[in-house]
Amino acid sequence: MPRLIIDEREIEVPPGTKVIDAAERLGILIPRFCYHEGLGAVGACRMCAVQFVEGPVKGLQMSCMVDAQDGMVVSTSHEEAVEFRRFIIECLMLNHPHDCPVCDEGGQCLLQDETVSGGHGLRRYQGKKRTYRDQYLGELIAHEMNRCIHCYRCSRFYQEFSGYRDLGPLQIANRVFYGRFKDGPLESPFSGNLVDICPTGVYTDKPSRYKARRWDLQRTPSVCIHCSLGCNTVANARYREVVRVEARFSGEVNGHFICDRGRFGFPYTNLPGRPRTARTAGGECSQGEAVAAAAEKLREISSTFGPQAVACFGSSRNSLETQCMLKRICRLQGWQVPGFFVDPALERRVRAAVSLLDASAGVSMREVERADCVVAAGVDPVNEAPMLALAMRQAFRRGAEILVADPRPIFLPFPFIHVPVSMERMDSFLEGLARLAGESSDGTGVREADLLSQIVQNGGLASSDLPLPVSFCRALFGSQNPVVLCGTECVRESTLPAAAALARDLRKGRDRAGLLYVLPGANAFGAGLLNSQGHPGFSRLLESVESGSVRALIVTESDPLNDFCHRDRLLGTLGKLDLLVVMDFLDSETARMAHVFLPTTTHFESGSCFVNHEGRLQYAEAVHHGGIPIEQAGGGSHPPRVYRGDIPGEGPKAAWVILAELGRTLGIPDRDLLGLGPWSLIGEEIPSLKRLEGTVFPPEGIRILSDGDPVQWVQGPEARDGEDDRGAVPPGDFFEILLTHWTFGTEELSSRSGPLQKVEKEPYGMMHSDDARVLGFSEGDRIVLSLEGGQIRFRLSVADRMGRGVLVLPRHRKLAWRNIPEMPCFVPRDRIRREDS
Amino acid sequence: MKSLVEAAKALAEGFATTFNHLFRRPVTEEYPEVHRVLPARTRARIVLTLDPDGEERCVACYLCSAVCPVSCISMQSAEKEDGRRYASWFRINFARCIYCGLCEEACPTSAIQLTPYFETCERDILRLVYEKEDLLVQHQGKDKEYNFYKVAGVVTRLAGKGEHAREEKPVNVKTNLP
Amino acid sequence: MIMWFAGLILLIVKLAVVLGFLLFLAAYLVWVERKFLARLQIRYGPNRAGRYGLLQPIADTVKMLTKEDTIPDGADKGLFCLAPAVVAMTAMLMFAVVPFGPELSVFGRKVPLVITDLNIGLLFVFALSSLGVYGVALGGWASNSKYSLLGGIRGAAQMISYELALGLSLVPIVMLARSFSVVDIVQAQERYPFILVQPVAFVIFMISAMAESKRIPFDLPEAENELVAGFHTEYSGIRFGLFFLGEYVHMQVLGALVAVLFLGGWRGPFLPPPVWLFIKIILVVLFMIWTRGTLPRLRYDQLMTLGWKMLIPLALLNIVVTGAVVLF
Ligand code: SF4
Ligand code: SF4
Ligand code: SF4
Ligand code: SF4
Ligand code: FES
Repeated sequence: MPRLIIDEREIEVPPGTKVIDAAERLGILIPRFCYHEGLGAVGACRMCAVQFVEGPVKGLQMSCMVDAQDGMVVSTSHEEAVEFRRFIIECLMLNHPHDCPVCDEGGQCLLQDETVSGGHGLRRYQGKKRTYRDQYLGELIAHEMNRCIHCYRCSRFYQEFSGYRDLGPLQIANRVFYGRFKDGPLESPFSGNLVDICPTGVYTDKPSRYKARRWDLQRTPSVCIHCSLGCNTVANARYREVVRVEARFSGEVNGHFICDRGRFGFPYTNLPGRPRTARTAGGECSQGEAVAAAAEKLREISSTFGPQAVACFGSSRNSLETQCMLKRICRLQGWQVPGFFVDPALERRVRAAVSLLDASAGVSMREVERADCVVAAGVDPVNEAPMLALAMRQAFRRGAEILVADPRPIFLPFPFIHVPVSMERMDSFLEGLARLAGESSDGTGVREADLLSQIVQNGGLASSDLPLPVSFCRALFGSQNPVVLCGTECVRESTLPAAAALARDLRKGRDRAGLLYVLPGANAFGAGLLNSQGHPGFSRLLESVESGSVRALIVTESDPLNDFCHRDRLLGTLGKLDLLVVMDFLDSETARMAHVFLPTTTHFESGSCFVNHEGRLQYAEAVHHGGIPIEQAGGGSHPPRVYRGDIPGEGPKAAWVILAELGRTLGIPDRDLLGLGPWSLIGEEIPSLKRLEGTVFPPEGIRILSDGDPVQWVQGPEARDGEDDRGAVPPGDFFEILLTHWTFGTEELSSRSGPLQKVEKEPYGMMHSDDARVLGFSEGDRIVLSLEGGQIRFRLSVADRMGRGVLVLPRHRKLAWRNIPEMPCFVPRDRIRREDS
Repeated sequence: MKSLVEAAKALAEGFATTFNHLFRRPVTEEYPEVHRVLPARTRARIVLTLDPDGEERCVACYLCSAVCPVSCISMQSAEKEDGRRYASWFRINFARCIYCGLCEEACPTSAIQLTPYFETCERDILRLVYEKEDLLVQHQGKDKEYNFYKVAGVVTRLAGKGEHAREEKPVNVKTNLP
Repeated sequence: MIMWFAGLILLIVKLAVVLGFLLFLAAYLVWVERKFLARLQIRYGPNRAGRYGLLQPIADTVKMLTKEDTIPDGADKGLFCLAPAVVAMTAMLMFAVVPFGPELSVFGRKVPLVITDLNIGLLFVFALSSLGVYGVALGGWASNSKYSLLGGIRGAAQMISYELALGLSLVPIVMLARSFSVVDIVQAQERYPFILVQPVAFVIFMISAMAESKRIPFDLPEAENELVAGFHTEYSGIRFGLFFLGEYVHMQVLGALVAVLFLGGWRGPFLPPPVWLFIKIILVVLFMIWTRGTLPRLRYDQLMTLGWKMLIPLALLNIVVTGAVVLF
């Protein structure tokens, strides 16, 4: 390991470390513009010059371009270096406009910092400044090109790092311009990172435009809850309003970046319609009164019909505390075991995923980046877990071969092999791959071609799904560090073990083979941990309500009406309840039906834990206190001129606190509820987490998967309740409907974000072009799908690279997918027709 | 000995000086009977001025509120249709202001200025909280010239790209001609 | 028995008159000080409450009585309440031994115009003035505030340093008068006031007395610009008023002592004796104010140097010289 001396202090760094990073480890921040840890060095700005006094390199050099080597003696404050940097910053500032006061970067601007640190106080240049015309880059990013200093960070991120090509440098010499060829919204769902990464104010965050300066913001480490990856963020609040979310570096999870869903998905917490007062049948009331009313009714119901007449329902967006408290109260009161998913099959899939992951197999996104071969089964990364796509791209950039098996049309920002295996045949396809891997390890030297045909036979693939490139098989053979990715949203239940088996087989003869499940929801892992057995499944629950054996339902931060397919049935069923208690921070449809409604806080307002897809327990700190945003309180004008001791709209409490209050009102002693404290509560409900008690949260979270023995999160035998898994495809000519997520517009929370609503696409359905041709449809046709539950209308889009016999529909609010009676759903071809025909 | 004499002399001088004061007219000006004309740069009641075009100067950059040592300025910035950044509300709590003038010094647009008018006492402390309507005046205050948007480089009705002071015409990104 | 009662009544009358006069004078001394000081500084001084601000003391009193009386959290309540009373009381008690006139005959009864003629009157004065500093030190300590504590400590240190000089400067007087009784000392000045024979003692006494009363240039215990308000930082309302009162009564007492010890007390031509005393007191007080208007505050080390290295040796020398003169 090289040892070098920087500013008279010695440091030892791993080989390959740049001098600029070595200095940073010593706490010496060398000025820089173009260098970024996540993007690497290009040496474009010349701002990081330091003097190399002794050693293999001598003289004035760019510290971002020189690897640390033994015997180097570096001075960052050498006269020559200081003078050079002063000169560089003055040159970079020559054309810089005079607009800091109206620039949103001001206050968090690297250019401002380096101008000051470079000692460039007064502008001496009196000539004319170069100017650019700005472009319209969509509703998320504002463009102000005059401010550019040509560090190439934006194009390096946009093109090299994330693989999109519609933004980059144009022109030459003194006229280099960064933008699109034409005005228009940026295509990348990672465009928000331009704001973080640009050292000047060229790209600024449009939704929070002019809202605040950095120094006025309350900032706190938070966690994104818009998908199961749990990217690390910084939440920024001002005047009782979350105004901005930024990426927070996390070595293991998201690296330096986040996706736009995570960045711009937060406004649900500020919505004017967000409920902030409790309600009972008699109208608005205080939180305490509502809890008392609910408790009274619950007592009545359980004394008449028995405690089993009370059911509870959470969700995968619940914090871990809420899930545990819900489970605990149900246990202590003898109520039904709580459920967290409206789809029993999904519930089982999550449970399976949680039980199949163990520390030796589970991988973080960082490890996906380092993989040299990736097999993805039944997962659409850009749409389901966007940052996973960037992690895969980094693997691709390092030379990994990537294969995605999925009947849906898949887009990824890099070349990959798409095998449109149907969900039905996914397992056998994976088994085939597993065999391939197995054969390779015992070294019997089977010929590749034979293996290939084996896969095809075992996988039962149609000949058109081929060719499965031999090169990929070879890559899989030769890979040292393969990773298997598997979705949970659309796949069959048996695919999860199949993916695990593939990972297990790949591990034979290798150091490591990773397994990563993309789960449905920020805390789906937590739900899977808790949701062991005894829960009847949501459909059973509905039957019990319909038959009158369940009389009361407590719904915590969950909106079954949003998630459940068969809307009419659910509406009817909920209407039959004697008591529907809803706790939520959203003004959801279910909440509006509630007999007792209790407003809760979002994770921005009360700190809470979430467990991400790889079993990483992360804590999102509260960024502000809650209450009605000042902007709303003042109606856009100045805040009201009144004295008051309280915060308007501060009524909501964390769901688990409300649950505890409900439990206390029902007679559970407090020491069994809030008295436990969060850690004990979690430890009591999830015994395998007991060991974490008293832990101080490390910034990168705690990986709760234990090493060695695969942890039996799910105790006892699988509780099969007779409900069928996604059945076999019925004989005859049927289309399977796949309900999918889109990056924007389908996820429950972010689809309420105003800015994202502006960028989301109008929903459309997709089918294979062959299928369309047979049915006589073409691109753009208006299609009607007639189902028992009602009709679904959509525009059609056709694709070549996707499975046949599937119709892919987004779970978009503008599309009536809730008319689907039940999942899985197979529709005969004659139920699909063109609207005008 | 000499120093002792000196000390005594110094003491005596001091006492004599103060004693002589007894027979001089006091210099006190008796406010409120006498109103002294204060210099223009006296630091008292704060105003928000207009630029020479008659538009609000303040661009709500939050600099004055950042520099204010007692945090008595608060505002919300917003954007007008023509691209001007402005304060949708702007509030100074004069019950807290210490009239240090730092806000005026920090202001990049000459918008916020302190004036010599100081008789702002109120019995109801809430009336010392001034909103933007109360702060805005219809003149340029001490700085008659400065017009931020004429030099800023951002597009407003006042000037487009390349039309501000000392700006070249915008780069044509679609031509390779020099 | 009757005689005893008559004596008691007489005593009460004297007490009432003296006390009333002291308090009234204290209040107006404030006015005098502010006015006089203002003129020394070419200002008007109070001129809004009544003509020439004459009602100012009343306004001040009302203000002080009606202000909120706060006791800080963490203060030692008992001591905190006691301290101002100690200051005010010791100052007033000192006046008990000051004679304000020759013996009078009322109904054939000899009435000494002094509250009590102690034969060790001078020692009594010293004792009380040392006690007075307890008010300062305790008040500073009880407030539980660093400023107060520092003020209190300074007060105590200052008192110790100057008490000595004060006492020593009076030894020659006692030697001349051959008595500790203040009445006797006044008697001894029948022919000439002692200032003429003891100018050095007078100067030392004046300086030490000002230091004792903690007034500029010796106001280190309150030193506003270092210690906020020193030992009484945490006091408000009438408790603060008591400290104030104490200071002004103390000024009068010192004025009276200077008058009695050096200026012949109540002696003087034409005017009745108490009036003479009053005039002399006022003159001394005016001089103290004038000093306040002229001199800046001493530094702490200067204070100590002045006390220990100059005044005390000088006083000792004075004693030796006086002793020699008296002997031979
Ligand atoms: S736009 Fe920003 S990131 Fe891109 S080159 Fe210019 S300064 Fe660098
Ligand atoms: S990838 Fe998922 S967790 Fe990460 S920022 Fe996007 S939505 Fe949030
Ligand atoms: S004068 Fe000073 S205290 Fe008053 S608003 Fe300006 S910066 Fe704040
Ligand atoms: S510093 Fe000037 S321009 Fe900025 S907000 Fe204050 S008054 Fe407005
Ligand atoms: S940071 Fe090294 S040249 Fe830009």
